[in-house]
Amino acid sequence: MGLTTITFYLFLIITLLLYFLVPRKYSWLILLIASIYFLLYDNLKLNIIIYLLIILLSSYIFAILIDKYNKKKKLFLILGILCIIGVLGYLKYTNLFIVTINHLNNILGINKQFNLVDRNVPIGLSYYSLIMIGYLTDVYWGICKPCYNILKCSLFMGYFPLLTSGPFVRYEDMEKELYIKHKFNFHRLCYGLIRIFWGLFKILVISQRIGIFVDAVYSNYTLYQGFYLILAALLFSLQLYTNFSGSIDIIMGVTKIIGINLPENFTSPFFSKSLTEFWRRWHITLGSWLKDYIFYPVMRSRLVQKLGEFTKKIFGKRVSKKVMLYFSMFIMWFAIGAWHNGAYTYIIGSGLLQCLIMILEDLLSPLSKRIDQKLGINRDTFGYRCYQMIRTYLIFSFTMIFFRAPSVREAFNIIKNMFVFNPWILLDNYSLYLPGLDLLDFRILFIAIIVLFIIDYLKQKCDVIEEIFKQNIIFRYIVIYILIFSVIIFGMYGPGFDATTFIYRQF
Amino acid sequence: MNREEIYERLNRVFRDVFDDDSICLNDNTTSSDIEDWDSLEHINLIVAVEGEFKIKFNMKEVTKMKNVGEMVDIIESRINS
Repeated sequence: MGLTTITFYLFLIITLLLYFLVPRKYSWLILLIASIYFLLYDNLKLNIIIYLLIILLSSYIFAILIDKYNKKKKLFLILGILCIIGVLGYLKYTNLFIVTINHLNNILGINKQFNLVDRNVPIGLSYYSLIMIGYLTDVYWGICKPCYNILKCSLFMGYFPLLTSGPFVRYEDMEKELYIKHKFNFHRLCYGLIRIFWGLFKILVISQRIGIFVDAVYSNYTLYQGFYLILAALLFSLQLYTNFSGSIDIIMGVTKIIGINLPENFTSPFFSKSLTEFWRRWHITLGSWLKDYIFYPVMRSRLVQKLGEFTKKIFGKRVSKKVMLYFSMFIMWFAIGAWHNGAYTYIIGSGLLQCLIMILEDLLSPLSKRIDQKLGINRDTFGYRCYQMIRTYLIFSFTMIFFRAPSVREAFNIIKNMFVFNPWILLDNYSLYLPGLDLLDFRILFIAIIVLFIIDYLKQKCDVIEEIFKQNIIFRYIVIYILIFSVIIFGMYGPGFDATTFIYRQF
Repeated sequence: MNREEIYERLNRVFRDVFDDDSICLNDNTTSSDIEDWDSLEHINLIVAVEGEFKIKFNMKEVTKMKNVGEMVDIIESRINS
């Protein structure tokens, strides 16, 4: 059930009506029933139910065991995590394993190739695998108590708005929100609806439109070369952003109506001055999950500490700190890449390449400061900040070529094909429209992206929706109607459009 | 070990980790008072404090500590237990 389908909104209306109408005691049960329906709506198969039950039961049982048997809690934590990772690995990483073995066989000259497998993956698998690992670890660390009610535990794992693309939550925070009855509130309803429409605007008007161009160019990159590929790469990072943050807006809108507070997942990332800052503002909840559950433990691990002591003796304190940092970053970014999907394009594109560039940023920043000082460049100017933001955008777009390309080899071919010089395609009033978008589409896209950047700019300073509510009634309604009608009129619902294809949903 | 002695040793650890001899801690010192105290240095600091006092913080303490006062409370309770 995609977040832009009519079915989803019918489902949502029924769920909300029941949620606010049933007696206080049972309201969370409505969310649970809705979540189970949502989970199994597209994929009602026995094996899907079994995978879900393994993850649920292993987290439920091992969390209680960790809490009860303090002496053996490490063993129970490991067992719990292994069960979850086992399901995740079996469903998502078998093909990565097969591809690697096939590559190795090729290199070693062994004449045996294994066929890839097609596994039936339940929706939101990556999401609840991580939050349940987080839950077990929090119980282990004593941050929260285990949930003894298995139905409540199920709701935490499968709370439907979060299944498509997060944000990542913790049991400690959700415990206070999920199981209490939230009263209906008209202001929250209006706020939530505007946020949902803003999400729909991002997805239907911008992301889907860009998708037509990017899909056509990437699927035929030997025909569409040079500036086609450059434009597609520049547009793809915007497509990914509007698609992902748009679905987060819809999710935030839905939970706002229910009355549940969730952490924000994006804070205008395209206004970042470096890639490091970009990742602090992009998919924030995943970043903070990884920081707490991977980066911190790795940094504190005996291995990294020993590495630090060793390098300190030889190179001194400053270098040793950097070595420890880069090593832990490498582990964390590898995990981010691998988590996105079991394919090398993701491990490189959203993992190791990001890590490499951030390390370079860190290493080169003293040098670039010195150069700027020597040249007398004032960094504290609007122009310089713009330069930094554009540079970050270009770097991010470049790394996303690996994320979008079908394979690593093809990503390199795409980069190679970018160097064909054909700027006239931008000017001849014909070539640019070949990949599927016409002049009107480009105009709509241009205006929509400007609106997006204005809103993102304002979001850094205030809560834009609350500000709209503070305006006088005429201005307020004009803004709201423009938003709603632009989604209806300019949204992409054409043939071949499949509203359920969310880029991020597959993760 | 009393609180004053803990502060004395803690000051030394902080000055060493942040390379800043002007650091003078009190109960209300937080990460916003020390320029380089970000999430990364926090971990370096934790490891250094653990080494100095031969204690171990648990992850709940590491992530939930709000100020130096809380850190000293934990060190005090750990050493004296």
